[in-house]
Amino acid sequence: MSKVTKAKYTSEASFGFMHRTAMEEAARCLLCYDAPCSKGCPAGTDPAKFIRSIRFRNPKGAAETIRENNILGGTCARVCPTGDLCEEACSRCGIDRPIEIGKLQRYAVEQEKTFKMKILKAPAKKKAGKVACVGAGPASLACAAELAKTGYRVTVFEKEKKAGGMLTYGIAPGRLPQAVVDHDAAQVKSLGVKFEFGKKVGDDIDLTEMDFDAVFIGAGLWGGNLPDIPGNSLAGVYTAVDFLKNARTMKEAFKFGNKVVVVGGGDVAVDCAVTAKLLGADDVRIVYRRTLEEAPGNMSEFQYALSLGIGTTTNMAPAELLGESKLEYAVFNGRDGKSGMKISADAIVFATGQKAEDLSKIMPMALNEKGWIKADAAGKTSIEKVFAGGDAVNGGGTVVEAVRAGKDAAASIIAYLEKRGVKQDVN
Amino acid sequence: MSINKDLSIRYLGIDCENPFFLSSSPVGGNYEMVAKAYEAGWGGVFYKTVGVFVADECSPRFDQTSKEGLPWLGFKNMEQISDKPTEQNFENMMKLKRDYPDKVMAATIMGSSDEEWRALAKMCEQAGADLIEGNFSCPQMTSHAMGADVGTNPELVTAYSRAVTETTKIPFVAKMTPNITNMEIPAVAAIKGGAAGVSAINTVKSITNIDFENMAGMPVVDGKSSISGYSGAAVKPIALRFAAQLLQHEELKDVEISGIGGIETWRDAAEFLVLGCRNVQVTTAVMQYGYRIVEDMKSGMMHFMDERGYSKLEDFIGLALPNMIPAEGLNRDFQILPDFNVKKCIGCGRCYVSCYDGAHQAIDWDEKKRKPKLNDNCVGCHLCLNVCPVQGCITPGEVKWKEGRQKTGIKIKRNYD
Repeated sequence: MSKVTKAKYTSEASFGFMHRTAMEEAARCLLCYDAPCSKGCPAGTDPAKFIRSIRFRNPKGAAETIRENNILGGTCARVCPTGDLCEEACSRCGIDRPIEIGKLQRYAVEQEKTFKMKILKAPAKKKAGKVACVGAGPASLACAAELAKTGYRVTVFEKEKKAGGMLTYGIAPGRLPQAVVDHDAAQVKSLGVKFEFGKKVGDDIDLTEMDFDAVFIGAGLWGGNLPDIPGNSLAGVYTAVDFLKNARTMKEAFKFGNKVVVVGGGDVAVDCAVTAKLLGADDVRIVYRRTLEEAPGNMSEFQYALSLGIGTTTNMAPAELLGESKLEYAVFNGRDGKSGMKISADAIVFATGQKAEDLSKIMPMALNEKGWIKADAAGKTSIEKVFAGGDAVNGGGTVVEAVRAGKDAAASIIAYLEKRGVKQDVN
Repeated sequence: MSINKDLSIRYLGIDCENPFFLSSSPVGGNYEMVAKAYEAGWGGVFYKTVGVFVADECSPRFDQTSKEGLPWLGFKNMEQISDKPTEQNFENMMKLKRDYPDKVMAATIMGSSDEEWRALAKMCEQAGADLIEGNFSCPQMTSHAMGADVGTNPELVTAYSRAVTETTKIPFVAKMTPNITNMEIPAVAAIKGGAAGVSAINTVKSITNIDFENMAGMPVVDGKSSISGYSGAAVKPIALRFAAQLLQHEELKDVEISGIGGIETWRDAAEFLVLGCRNVQVTTAVMQYGYRIVEDMKSGMMHFMDERGYSKLEDFIGLALPNMIPAEGLNRDFQILPDFNVKKCIGCGRCYVSCYDGAHQAIDWDEKKRKPKLNDNCVGCHLCLNVCPVQGCITPGEVKWKEGRQKTGIKIKRNYD
């Protein structure tokens, strides 16, 4: 009999390192010259430096290296696809297996909490210029932190009650505990960044009427994608965004049935399936329209799902949803044009990408045909003082990519404000 | 065990089924422990040192050193000699000899006066001990009339050795302290006093770690600590050095030496044997891993003998001793340049860093390909070979003869584990 792991919804998917095990792992590190891992991070994290700090018994120094560079260092340690980034670049791959860089980062960031370190400080003397950040997700938090570190006054407007965006409302807590997101967000707050929660820009607030010198939009993509197939309005049909958000906010009180089908091939699909399983559904399966080789999700996430007893069916696309008022069956057609299946289900979750809500309500900048914000690599939009980054620009990427976009946009905003020469006002 | 080789050896006239003994320490201090050790396969036991003095121990009493997450690189012990009544210890030895007649019982003793040494030697004889070891070397005694303070005084070593050897015919082994520049002096003094053999080394005086919580050494005993004996893998190089120096000394070359210090594996033991030791003693590794380690010592030693075609230990005892020579005697006519296997290289650059910062800037670094390339600065020091993490990547290569030196056939080590 196979051993399927039983876990709670909020229990962590993997063990972290303790001091001794972290030292053991750091001892495996070859401490490379011009280390390749340090070139593999989109956010510019320097694993070679922080692992060397751990190895030479300076865990506080390791925590500083991470936090100074990445305001979401705790989050990224948990959710980064390290196997495709720093760990793939690790020289040790040539001998056996890479250093567990993500887990060492997690250990290092935990030291910050253990020792109650306050690593980041905003300059006492503020610069002239006020910036608004729309959304409190990874891109906005990264942008706000960079600006605050430089001395700008930043206000973050968030439609929900908590900071984190998708980190708080769209990822399974076993993979990313809320406490980790909260701790990262607290670092932003400690830099003097103001947060306005429950304020949806465009609906509750009109930024065009406010005197911000620059605006960053990291609003994300919160519109779920439902396929245009018969039955898509039945009860029991969810978008991934809604499903995960319900789970995060309602936890065990969220009732969706016992037989759940998740459609999709990305990390979000796996998160939905894991969430359904951990919240008590007995029969959970992932159905993907292509092969696993083509799936955008991380293989380690599929393996984690499998360890919980969640299987994946490939080359099957949803065709029709059947039921009186509520979902009873989901019908799939095979990619080969011959196969097909009909599954009895209480709920079906579509993790088939997110789409933008009407982003032009935030600011009237140009959007592309999919409704995403048009912005260049430096985050510049069609409006001079408006910048953007993250999912709302790239259509949905990793957390670390959003951090990178937020940092890049902050650099553009700083350059813009300095060039424009906002008058120095006395604080 | 499918392999079977003869590991027996005659040591100081006593037939031992194998050369692996427990040294006098916490690992052999009562009947049950020694019986278990015998049954696990140890050839003999040096019973925990017995004196007239009964120790009053501190708590805690141990500490260990680590490096890169690897614990027990070295071990510190503040325990003194046995804290059990003298009579009970000898009774234990007698029962053990009765119940395990084929195993060797060595009684380690320590006195603080001529009379005490004689009395203890008498008791050893009554207990039926095969060997007596005189502990002239424990560095953590609370009395300066005993232990390492005695071992550095040749007159006392001779006198106390004589006190034992005049009392009994049981072969006497003098256990040496490494906390001395020339161990040959007390060793010769012991032989002069009638000792048949010498064992070395006892522990090295040490402070392993400082605890910042109490601003005291480790282990912390009510906010204080003391210098005491260091043992384990970290001291093996020091032990091998003393063993070689004793065995090469003109007056000691026929004396049977028991090697002690950092032995954990058959390989460590074999190193002492190829230098010329006829017996080895172990404690620290047993404290860390238990008596069971002797299983792989025996099996591993047999496989070593099988690979090299030895049928008995005597076939290889002392083979390496003549090859330990003074530095002025080494052939300095050549340089062995390292050879880099580009296919095995994983591009970590450790050889480049170490060669630049710690040697002769003899490696150029190809940034694009991430590969090292040797330049003309190389002197053949082999630092690169020692830091390379990939087995068989950097190996001894071309032999370069210094200008004007006569080319000869030379012996080169080719295989690194």
